[in-house]
Amino acid sequence: MAPVPGSGLAKGLAVTLRTMTKKTVTEQYPDAQPELPPRTRGVIGLFEENCTVCMLCARECPDWCIYIDSHKETVPAATPGGRDRSRNVLDRFAIDFALCMYCGICIEVCPFDALFWSPEFEYAETDIRDLTHERDKLREWMWTVPAPPALDPGAEEPKELAAARKAADKLAAQQQADQSGQEDRPGQADQSGQPNRPGQEDRP
Amino acid sequence: MTLAAASHGFLSPTGVEIAFLLVGLVTFGAAVVTVTTRQLVHAALWLVVALGGLAVEYLLLTAEFIAWVQVLIYVGAVVVLILFGLMLTRAPIGRSPDADSGNRWAALTVAVASAAALVWVVVDAFRTTWIDLDGPAAGSTAVTGASLFQNWVLPFEALSVLLLAALVGAIVLSRKAKAARAGEAPPAKTSPTGASSSGTSPSGASSSGTSQTGGVR
Amino acid sequence: MNDALDVTLRLLIVFVVFLAFPLIVGQTEHKVMAHMQGRLGPMYAGGFHGWAQLVADGVKFAQKEDVVPADADRRIFQLAPAVALLPYLLVLLAIPVGPGEGAVGQVVDAGVFFVLAVMGVGVLGSLMAGWSSANKFSLLGGLRTAAQLLAYELPMLLTAASVAMAAGTVSLVGILDAFEWWWLPWQIVGAVVFFVAGLAELQRPPFDMPVADSEIIFGAYTEYTGLRFALFLLAEYAGIVVLCGLTTVLFLGGWHGPWGADGLGWVWTLLKAAVLAFVVIWLRVTYPRLREDQLQKLSWTLLVPLSLAQIALTGVVKVVIA
Repeated sequence: MAPVPGSGLAKGLAVTLRTMTKKTVTEQYPDAQPELPPRTRGVIGLFEENCTVCMLCARECPDWCIYIDSHKETVPAATPGGRDRSRNVLDRFAIDFALCMYCGICIEVCPFDALFWSPEFEYAETDIRDLTHERDKLREWMWTVPAPPALDPGAEEPKELAAARKAADKLAAQQQADQSGQEDRPGQADQSGQPNRPGQEDRP
Repeated sequence: MTLAAASHGFLSPTGVEIAFLLVGLVTFGAAVVTVTTRQLVHAALWLVVALGGLAVEYLLLTAEFIAWVQVLIYVGAVVVLILFGLMLTRAPIGRSPDADSGNRWAALTVAVASAAALVWVVVDAFRTTWIDLDGPAAGSTAVTGASLFQNWVLPFEALSVLLLAALVGAIVLSRKAKAARAGEAPPAKTSPTGASSSGTSPSGASSSGTSQTGGVR
Repeated sequence: MNDALDVTLRLLIVFVVFLAFPLIVGQTEHKVMAHMQGRLGPMYAGGFHGWAQLVADGVKFAQKEDVVPADADRRIFQLAPAVALLPYLLVLLAIPVGPGEGAVGQVVDAGVFFVLAVMGVGVLGSLMAGWSSANKFSLLGGLRTAAQLLAYELPMLLTAASVAMAAGTVSLVGILDAFEWWWLPWQIVGAVVFFVAGLAELQRPPFDMPVADSEIIFGAYTEYTGLRFALFLLAEYAGIVVLCGLTTVLFLGGWHGPWGADGLGWVWTLLKAAVLAFVVIWLRVTYPRLREDQLQKLSWTLLVPLSLAQIALTGVVKVVIA
């Protein structure tokens, strides 16, 4: 059936009129903060305690916007006659956000979970040089990092938990076996406590 | 209108007459500049001033209808058409050195002669006739309509037919051009009639507009 | 003395209306357009829902430098905004708001002709601007303006003539005095044609090819800055006020209302004009810009025949009634 001439015109008018009666999608930003989705990539926060100054982030950064200074400190041997251990101490950790392109490679590449995405986005400056933020500022942003959102209901179990559960199950089974065989060979039970460490540290 | 010419001196200085004279001077000056300026678009714009001044003169003579039609047709349509044509072809900013005519003296002679003839005829015809500006308007829409369709209906219709003929002629000319082009080249979808009909529109508008409103009265 | 006071008062009122109403229409456009697009529009200037946005804009325009291009025709360039704006001021004088002679700036005997003639003069301003800017986009805008005026002046005149035939007078006050409610269905085609042609003459979307920003930047106004540019914008919105007022007076019965017009005639006029202004904004939001050839085609193949048909209908009905 051919459409009535002008029905398209009327439909257009109806669409705009209907939109006018609906609630607008505008958010009054400075007055009302936006509701950001989880894992929003606003700015990069640093959790210094986890940093080992491995320099992976600085080397992987495509923009070379991460500056790291460090020095070595010698830790005296814990036991007499032992060897002194050396340790890296972070002196400076700065990210130039005028160069950063928010690719997130540094965060992905960090082996010790020292870098995190923070949803903070209001860090505009009037001078481009002020956009190089030092570690105290990066640390402040660390506290704005939200807890990771809960997994979807049907999601696969996280690898950390799976590994921990596997180890715990193994341990339980072994203890079971030990208890049943305790009458035969006492004195061997304590050695099985080792492998149940999860291996990965939890996030702070 | 009264015939009491004796009671009026020649140009007794009433306000209206002074205004009439001044506007007339402005109109005359604008007209002279129109034909003497070397800047094409300026000429067209001075023509606006001249035609507008003429409309004001009509108004001062209480011929309100004619005045507004003058503005509507000449300023609103004819000058726009002239400007349109100028911009479409050549409208340089500044003087055009070739905007001159070799036979300016012949043109001046013809202009002066026709002006003299017109002035002589008008003065001869209306020498002792005075328009009573205080009484009922002698040139209102009602009066104009009535006289147009009672006393002057034959010339009016003849003019309408003339304009119609011009309209038809324009369409025929543009059609022929299209047919000739279609013969040698594959037929183009864009029709040249739009340009031609827009060219004739002011005359069409003038004839039908006046005839329709006048016809009511 | 009393006459002088009366004249001064009327001129003053018309002038205030001339300055205030376009701003109101402009602000309404800001807000209505925003909400039709799911936005909020201006919210800050003035505190309450951005009511003073256009005032702020005016202050901004006044602060800007008034630039005249080096190659431009100086005097015409500077004169053009006034030529574009003043005709609408004159037209406002002749539009009756309520019954009686007290509610119109100046009774003009040939009102319809006066109004249409003077509105046509306003377009000269755009032409002058387009030519004198020494800019090819401006020139193109001027050309389009002229072509559009030529195409749409005719249907506008014809439909206005239809109403004049129906009323038996070309005076705006007289037309309103003769108005009956059944003129509305009788002249509805003419009303639509008049309104559409008027929109085209004002270069409002969807008929804004002369200023089409994606093609020719801002048409004839490309080179303008500061106050002169603001004057062109004001002319556009004054044009909306005039067009809505005229359509109201000619086709919608002006101060006539369903419950009588005693003392409230002007409310009816303003209400109808406001609804029409809303429609103008609504059309702008809804429809995309026509192409130049589509615009010409719409006028010559649709609006002109329709207006001629309306005139024929008016004539037939008039004769039958008589």
